[in-house]
Amino acid sequence: MKLRETYLGLVLGLILATMGAMATYGQVADSISSDSAMVETGQTVQEPADVLSVYAQRLLNRFDKSPLLVTILYIVILYSIVTMITLLIIILIHRGRLKREQTLKDYLLEKYQHLLMDYLFDEERQEEALEELNRVANNRINRQILIDQMIDLSVNLKGDIKEAIKILYIQLGLERDSLEKAYSRKWHENVKGFRELAFMNIRDANDRIARSLNASNDILRMEAQIAMVRLSDANPYEFLDLLKKPLSLWEQVTLHELQIQHNLPVPDFKQWFNSENTSVVMFALEMVGWYKQRGVGKEILGLFEHEEEKVRFTSYKVCGEIGLKMSLPAMIKKYPEETFKNKLEILHTFTKVPDEKYLKFLKNVLDTEEDVQLQIEATKAMENTDEPGISMLIRLMKSKSEYKNYQIIIRHVLDGRIY
Amino acid sequence: MEGAFEILKLFVLNAVFIITALIFTTYLILTIFSAISLRKYLRKNSYVDYNSIVASPLAPSLSVIAPAYNESETIIDNIRTLLSLYYNNYEVVVINDGSKDDSLEKIIKDYDLEKVNYYFDYRLSCKRIRGVYKSRNRSFKKLTVIDKSNGGKADALNAGLNVCRNDLVVSIDADSIMEPDALLKLVKPFMEAKEKRVIGAGGVIRIANSCEISDGHIRKINLPKKFLPRAQVMEYTRAFLMGRMAWSELDGLLLISGALGMFDREIVIKSGGYNTNTVGEDMELVVRIRRYMVDNGLNYDVVYIPDPLCWTEVPNTVKVLARQRSRWTRGTMETLITHRKLFFNRKYKKLGILGYPYWLIFEYLAPIIEFLGICWFIFLLITSKLNWPFFLLLFGFVYFFAVSLSIWSVLFEEMTFHKYERRRDVLRLMGTAFLEPLFYHPMVMLMTIKGNIDKVLNRNKWGKMERKGFGKN
Repeated sequence: MKLRETYLGLVLGLILATMGAMATYGQVADSISSDSAMVETGQTVQEPADVLSVYAQRLLNRFDKSPLLVTILYIVILYSIVTMITLLIIILIHRGRLKREQTLKDYLLEKYQHLLMDYLFDEERQEEALEELNRVANNRINRQILIDQMIDLSVNLKGDIKEAIKILYIQLGLERDSLEKAYSRKWHENVKGFRELAFMNIRDANDRIARSLNASNDILRMEAQIAMVRLSDANPYEFLDLLKKPLSLWEQVTLHELQIQHNLPVPDFKQWFNSENTSVVMFALEMVGWYKQRGVGKEILGLFEHEEEKVRFTSYKVCGEIGLKMSLPAMIKKYPEETFKNKLEILHTFTKVPDEKYLKFLKNVLDTEEDVQLQIEATKAMENTDEPGISMLIRLMKSKSEYKNYQIIIRHVLDGRIY
Repeated sequence: MEGAFEILKLFVLNAVFIITALIFTTYLILTIFSAISLRKYLRKNSYVDYNSIVASPLAPSLSVIAPAYNESETIIDNIRTLLSLYYNNYEVVVINDGSKDDSLEKIIKDYDLEKVNYYFDYRLSCKRIRGVYKSRNRSFKKLTVIDKSNGGKADALNAGLNVCRNDLVVSIDADSIMEPDALLKLVKPFMEAKEKRVIGAGGVIRIANSCEISDGHIRKINLPKKFLPRAQVMEYTRAFLMGRMAWSELDGLLLISGALGMFDREIVIKSGGYNTNTVGEDMELVVRIRRYMVDNGLNYDVVYIPDPLCWTEVPNTVKVLARQRSRWTRGTMETLITHRKLFFNRKYKKLGILGYPYWLIFEYLAPIIEFLGICWFIFLLITSKLNWPFFLLLFGFVYFFAVSLSIWSVLFEEMTFHKYERRRDVLRLMGTAFLEPLFYHPMVMLMTIKGNIDKVLNRNKWGKMERKGFGKN
């Protein structure tokens, strides 16, 4: 987006409006001068102070209002008109430029596509294609389009061809552009540079990227994290040890998708359970759940005592995902003191890890809790234990309790149409 | 004493001018803030890959709540659109708010629904829920339909909140068309939250009149042919791209349009849900959840997204527009009265110091002052006391400044989302900017005055919105 033009328009409008007002003032002053000259014979040059006062008097006579007010109104009107014309021109120029840029982009994309295909798949034309690419990508814009095209192409490629694209990228000197961007003082340029270097697996700017891991700019920080994950061989998540800023859910999702997309090595995530950064603990927990990492029982139980509600919530959730039966008694202990959201998650875990041993606890929840969601979740957990739970529910349905309408709750849970 | 009287006299004599100048100065400041905010947003989001959350198991689950009243004409297509949004983990809850037409029958037939034993409680008060329906067809498993007695939009939304189960809820008018990626864009601020809890997010509502629509999707964007909806395009562009964007930057946003907004369900329920006693339930809810957060000492954020996320049909006739504007005015009045405690209350920070006074003075009182100004002009005209040169100068000042503001908003649209691809459409929009202050604006001002009168006379009807139906555009 080129909002720079809008500022330019505003400033230009103001300058022109002021000039317009000055011109109006000049005309008035000139006319006053000539009037005065005619009236006061022999005195052809007016003193500025007199000009102002006569000008003010004229405005006062014409409008019966404060001359200052009238002048302000003149300036605003002129400003508005000049702004309107300026903006109209900007809009039309912008439209034309967009169209031209699009045409150039379309042309280059097609051209690059052919040349890249020739370079990658036609050995005879390889040299020629390289020369032609060198010739066409002769300015910053054309090179940027080429980089984007190469990245788009490499996303869907693997092995030797992907490596060939990287070699071409270096041969054309495009990595210099990316490094320049990575070291730029503008954050949005850094982001572009980090992305390109990460895609092409070029590690020359790793120090620069590492410095941005705790940047205050959210986007820059996230892009630095992504780049570091892609550019590290041994432990892609090493940066989590250094992370001081919170890792938002958005960042967690992005990292997780990156992990899946690029099939990156999966570390043992429990190593971050003791991190001082709560969001890192939660991310590690989520990953343990997703990759079904075992042997974390003792560590997860420790997190049941974490002071942060959301960490406890995630640890209950992960216990369900990895089917950690040993966590159920601990959850029963925690249940009475937990928040509503965490109570619900505990019951949800009992649904995911059904065990008839805890039917009594679940029945007790159903009897004592007033909240609909808790009642439903407890009933679902009972139902999931199969025969013993379902028999208990059927017995409850038949019984006529005075203080609880079991029938409605149980019918809801047993209704297969409610997914 | 005499000096003070002189100042007072001067103020009274120039009150209209002073307020106009104040309004224009405020608009100019808002324009600058809006430009900053837009630039920041677009730069930030140009690197975003929304696809990463489409199927992510870590992405939060959402409930889309769509109240419908006599929407038989469009309901099937609109539900289809809602069911085909780009997001993995969401449910659609349609509330038939006691429609008198065959909306429910149509939905039951088209989506193969049957009544289920759904257990819920009336945590938020609402009219009786007659039944909850689910589909026999598993491909519509995301859909839940609630049939309830008529109680109005707010009441229907509360019923939806009682039945849905997810942490984040999206309220949408069933007659609006959502952009396929609207949920992805709306959920992003909630997922980005760190120190502050995001409690609400809204996006830009665009006008669908004259657009080509099929299967519940916008196929081609056209500028409305008729002047009335076209003037509303101008008005919406200004309001959404300039006003709300700036207020979001200033943390003083008081309104997330009822046509589309995402909220934190827990906070909405804790603060009492939608207020059924107002016709401006969307604004009232935002103000109330913000108050709730401040009163409980919780850090929060209300976010606004400049992306066009939702398309709606606006009134095509003066009669329907008058009803809509009367309702908006009454809604604003009711919210401002209910939350009068906010007025210059430092406890509520920017909300109390900036947001509330702005709405009171510039959104609510401005049309009244403008109306009084016109009455005064007519009086001077009748009594031949009108200072014509000064009047023309003042008129030129107001007119040209207003037009230039509109042109700014056209520029913002051009530089950002560039939705009107045809050059002719942009030129027509600019032409509308010149005509709008002369024809459309005075009309809307009178409708606002009528809204005030309606409120005073306790005529608190919602007002029927007659729609052509998207299929007929």
